[in-house]
Amino acid sequence: MTDENNVVNGFLFLPPALGAWIKSTIPEDEFKGEIPWAPLIKPLAETTFALMTSAGINMHDDPPFDMERERREPIWGDPSYRRIPVIATPADIDVNHLHVNTSYIKKDINVALPINRFQELSADNTIGALAPTAYSYYGYQMDPTVLINETMPQVVADMKAEGVDAVLITPT
Amino acid sequence: MMPEFNREIGIPRVAAVEHPFGRVVGEVNENDGQTAVLKAALEVLENAERPGEVAHLPFTWHEEPKATDWHPPEISPVIKLYLDEIKQAGAEARR
Repeated sequence: MTDENNVVNGFLFLPPALGAWIKSTIPEDEFKGEIPWAPLIKPLAETTFALMTSAGINMHDDPPFDMERERREPIWGDPSYRRIPVIATPADIDVNHLHVNTSYIKKDINVALPINRFQELSADNTIGALAPTAYSYYGYQMDPTVLINETMPQVVADMKAEGVDAVLITPT
Repeated sequence: MMPEFNREIGIPRVAAVEHPFGRVVGEVNENDGQTAVLKAALEVLENAERPGEVAHLPFTWHEEPKATDWHPPEISPVIKLYLDEIKQAGAEARR
């Protein structure tokens, strides 16, 4: 279903009290700082994409995101990341996230990390290519210092090594 | 997802979609619907002209918000920690 005049309400799915609390933490004015801008320099059909999600996905071979520490320290969120090969199958992955129902992602990873859909978009030449590695981090970072200063530079280096031109980030 | 956070952190390009948390691309195994959302997001990448642009995608969800069952099975630790403040914010909003 579509509504061409839809203005997305990010609070729509939240219980009213939780929505009111979160709303009280977000400025009412537009962002005033400098926003990074990397222009798209190639047609989509020549652009190599990477995918990244905040859904807390890990391969079974990797350690899961640390839920136990977050239970002990509720304002801490795991700032690390995991590499997810885009050929991963549902049997290869696990999902750990204390802020969403993860069952949908376990049934179909594409609802949060659309690796199969982007393989199709690559196959039909809508995009140039999908990089072999996708990425997951953990979408609860009250203090994003480690995520920004330590984790994301590693992710960027990984992406550059695979010739990535553009990234689709899918929040949870 | 919550495009409102753009006011706090400044995001280069946002393709906002009114889907429940944890299923931002679309419903489980609804491949055509997922592809439609992704193609619309790619159009945003192609057409955005200035940093901070928020494009509101036209997709609507097929369930009422309360029926989406997106919540985690246990109350998240931060919600437990701030539960009194959250209840108070809710009470003030109702006034």
